[in-house]
Amino acid sequence: MNSAVIRAQSIEKTVPTAEGRLTILDGIDLEINAGESLAVTGASGSGKTTLLGILAGLDVPSGGQVHLLGHELTALDEERRARIRGEHVGFVFQTFQLLGSLTALENVMLPAELRGASAAQREARELLEKVGLGERASHYPRQLSGGEQQRVGIARAFASRPTVLFADEPTGNLDTATGAKVIELLFQLNEEFGATLVLVTHDERLAGRCGGAVELNGGRLVA
Amino acid sequence: MSLRLALRMAWRDWRSGELGLLLAALLVAVSAVTAIGLFVDRLQGALQLESSSFLAADRYISGSQAIPDAFRQAAEDRGLDFTDLMLFPSMVFGTGERSQLVSVKAAGPGYPLRGALIAGTEPFARGVPSEAPPLGEVWLDPRLFAALDVALGDQVEVGLARLKVSRVLVKEPDRGGFFFDFGPRLLMNLADVPATDVVQPGSRIGYRLLLRGPDAELEALRAELPLRPTYRWRSIRESSDRIGSALDRAENFLLLGGLLAVLLAGVAAALSAHRYARRHYDHVAILKTLGATPNQVLSGYLAILGAIGLAGTLLGLALGSAVHLLIARTLSVFIPAALPPPGPRPLLLGAATGLICALAFAVPALLHLKDISPMRVIRRDLGAAPASQWLSYGAAIAGSLFLLIWYSESLALTLWTLAGSLVVVPLFGALALLLLRGGRVLGMQAGSGFRLALSGLQRRRNANTAQILIFGLAIMLLLILALLRTSLVDEWRSELPENAPNHFIMNVTPEQLAPVEALLACIADGAADQPCPPAPSARGRGLLYPMIRGRVTGVNGMDLKFWEAQRPRRAVDDFSLRSERNLTWTNQLPERNLVVQGEWWPPDEQRALISLEDEYAWEFGLQLGDRLAFDVGGQRVEAEVSSLRKVDWESLQPNFFIIFSPAALEGFPATYMTSFRLAPERKAFLNRLLAEFPTVTLIEIDAILEQMKRIIDRVTRAVELVLALVVAAACLVLAASIQAGRDARMAEYALVRTLGGARRLIAGSLAIEFAALGLFSGLVATAGAELSVALLQWQIFDLGPSWHPWLWLFGPLTGALLILAVGMAGARSLVASPPMLVLRGME
Repeated sequence: MNSAVIRAQSIEKTVPTAEGRLTILDGIDLEINAGESLAVTGASGSGKTTLLGILAGLDVPSGGQVHLLGHELTALDEERRARIRGEHVGFVFQTFQLLGSLTALENVMLPAELRGASAAQREARELLEKVGLGERASHYPRQLSGGEQQRVGIARAFASRPTVLFADEPTGNLDTATGAKVIELLFQLNEEFGATLVLVTHDERLAGRCGGAVELNGGRLVA
Repeated sequence: MSLRLALRMAWRDWRSGELGLLLAALLVAVSAVTAIGLFVDRLQGALQLESSSFLAADRYISGSQAIPDAFRQAAEDRGLDFTDLMLFPSMVFGTGERSQLVSVKAAGPGYPLRGALIAGTEPFARGVPSEAPPLGEVWLDPRLFAALDVALGDQVEVGLARLKVSRVLVKEPDRGGFFFDFGPRLLMNLADVPATDVVQPGSRIGYRLLLRGPDAELEALRAELPLRPTYRWRSIRESSDRIGSALDRAENFLLLGGLLAVLLAGVAAALSAHRYARRHYDHVAILKTLGATPNQVLSGYLAILGAIGLAGTLLGLALGSAVHLLIARTLSVFIPAALPPPGPRPLLLGAATGLICALAFAVPALLHLKDISPMRVIRRDLGAAPASQWLSYGAAIAGSLFLLIWYSESLALTLWTLAGSLVVVPLFGALALLLLRGGRVLGMQAGSGFRLALSGLQRRRNANTAQILIFGLAIMLLLILALLRTSLVDEWRSELPENAPNHFIMNVTPEQLAPVEALLACIADGAADQPCPPAPSARGRGLLYPMIRGRVTGVNGMDLKFWEAQRPRRAVDDFSLRSERNLTWTNQLPERNLVVQGEWWPPDEQRALISLEDEYAWEFGLQLGDRLAFDVGGQRVEAEVSSLRKVDWESLQPNFFIIFSPAALEGFPATYMTSFRLAPERKAFLNRLLAEFPTVTLIEIDAILEQMKRIIDRVTRAVELVLALVVAAACLVLAASIQAGRDARMAEYALVRTLGGARRLIAGSLAIEFAALGLFSGLVATAGAELSVALLQWQIFDLGPSWHPWLWLFGPLTGALLILAVGMAGARSLVASPPMLVLRGME
């Protein structure tokens, strides 16, 4: 059985600029198996975030193919990619990306609501308890600290019971101590839910906690 | 996204204040249109009612043969109120040998159906509203008491009947200036007519069936009855051109006001929808990363908009109704007539406005949300393709057009408004950019408040050009309304000059000619109270016109029937070439007549020539050189058309379709007529005139003029009201557009304050910025208004173009003050916010 959850072949990404086309990713080949955790590291501007977007189906490459859970993302339209994201993918972002008009509970309920699941509220409450914010369920993001917002973000990421979790610099906006706690929580839940984790970071320590790591340099994989 | 989820999101957005502005814009749109619509609808109803009193009915059917019972039956079947009138001239005998030719009106029960009949108990005094005379009684025109030498309680003979004089007739609603209806009035009961025995075969009798009821039923009745060729259908428009055109103009004007409110509301809806969409880019990107598909996003936002549209429409209808009631109540002092209830159209219009504003102005702003890339969650510079400008503007223009056409029911008015905008928008844009650049150059040399404000204006020049366009448009619309109001009212007033003649005198015999003319010359010289010296040659002053009845019998040697059969008929009503007309002859071209073809004859012309009114000639296809045969009092007269004239029918001078050269008709037995002006305080002169010349006929037009002036004043007031409503709508648009630019301003001022800028600096700079924005908008608006008004006056209102130097001061000043006031009120919280809150809120 082929256990590759993500398979990327010859991924290229170029963007037009005033001086001609700029290459961001250049011939990336990558395979990630179920249950693995992989860190993608590299300096600023090396193309890490672009790669994450393409692997998660948020963006499309200029060339190459991406398969996610057997679906060829590069052959699907946004409508179908969105459905796959909704069913199989969770995200944790550097800037938390909570909806300011919704409470913590409502933010966590959102993925289940989008799927039309019935027990959205109960599950969301359980997840908020797990991340230690059961008491803050009715608070709006602006009433929460950065660390608390990221915990809500993690709870939301697992609310869709994802097969694959993508995390983009999850501690980038947090102080060291808070960042450490958040990372602890992320790995703990990831283990509990058995998801495959793809983590973009430039933090060597954080990358070291993952099962594997690749480094990007100038749009190419160097390790 | 399920509907339930969408509605929950809408509720959450609402709770967080995100949708408030969009709802407010739709609310403003719907309520402004509903309030203006309801008010205009009811005001039009009231104007119609007031005008109907000219007819004493909503409509009437007239004819020279008795109205068939089938007509009455049909009116009854439709639930209409009706009554009969008969009008005929008759010799009436009073005390001793005194007799007078009078114009008898015999009225059926319920007369008048509209307006008031006023009767009193002594001549030339005020009366009270009354019902028509009971059986066996007559009411007389004040002048008839002297002419017939009778008093109240005496009897007069009308034909074979002897009837008791019971009241003085002060005013009839339908005493129009119709020439077949001249002579002092005797009002009697219709049921007394058979006893008089005056109705004989061949007698000249006018029959009328007065009708009152809903418009739809009246028009249905009109379609159903076999009226032609014997009977004519009359409404206020057909009965009086002048009032008809005043009403048309008033309607055009009120609708223009309505149109402008719709446009302003649309702009407000578009502004707030675009702001809402912009604030939701991140929101959509997050939803998409969580698995929301583009279709779910689209249907979700459309559902949200639908919910807001529904709420805005329902609330707007309620608010609009309340506002219109408030206006009607506030103005009840000025509008004494009770307003009739409104029809359903204004409410439908309000609801449709809500729907169409949402569809045409708000939907395009939301459509592109489905295309926002989810990558935006990672890289904010990505995936926020702005709404398609083509789609946004195209839909807005299509929506406006649809609403404008539906609202105004006038394609011409809509197209000209649109053409004006198409010319004005690029011009405005260019002018706005120029002004912004100029402002920046000036600002460089000014203090820090100015520099901050003017550099801010220049830095956001795209947004500000748009703002100037919007503000400029709003102010331009206000200026257009103000200008049109002024010029329309002036024109209406000038149509009724202060010294317009207010009396017609007719039936003057050749023997009375010289003394009557002398007496009138005396009035003209302002000495009617003094004894007038006998005028040696009154005719020489040319004050009176001979008048004789006659009809056309043939053209160019051909019998009229054959001649008419050969040519296409151009006349639109049932006005006929063969109708009997008043003919006159003179050597002098009458005042306010202009020969447009051919030449006026010389004083010593010996040939039989005629001069025709040019539209009369056009309607019947007559040309210079045609020879017309007439039957004048049984004699055949033939004359050649030698000139065509334009006649100013509004002048209230005696005017004729057909004028003969003296050689053609001199010697025919004619009576003489003219019009003259008599100041109201000198009315007693009429007694002297009638005492000296009891057989002449006098028509007092001043009562009619007074009624027309009242209508015009009412219309003016209505126009002012609509103007006030549009000003209110424009202010709300200003507030909405300031809100739309609020986020950018907040960011900028938070930074300035963080860097140590004092609150006063920010307030001052904001004030300068708003004032400059207003000043620029005002300048742009003034230019646009001058242009549009010139076009509108020329095309729609048939007035000549005119320029307004005062506007170039008033427009920019108004713009600066208005936007300063509304802007500072809207931005107060911006200045007051602590910078930290603003910085956190920006995130």
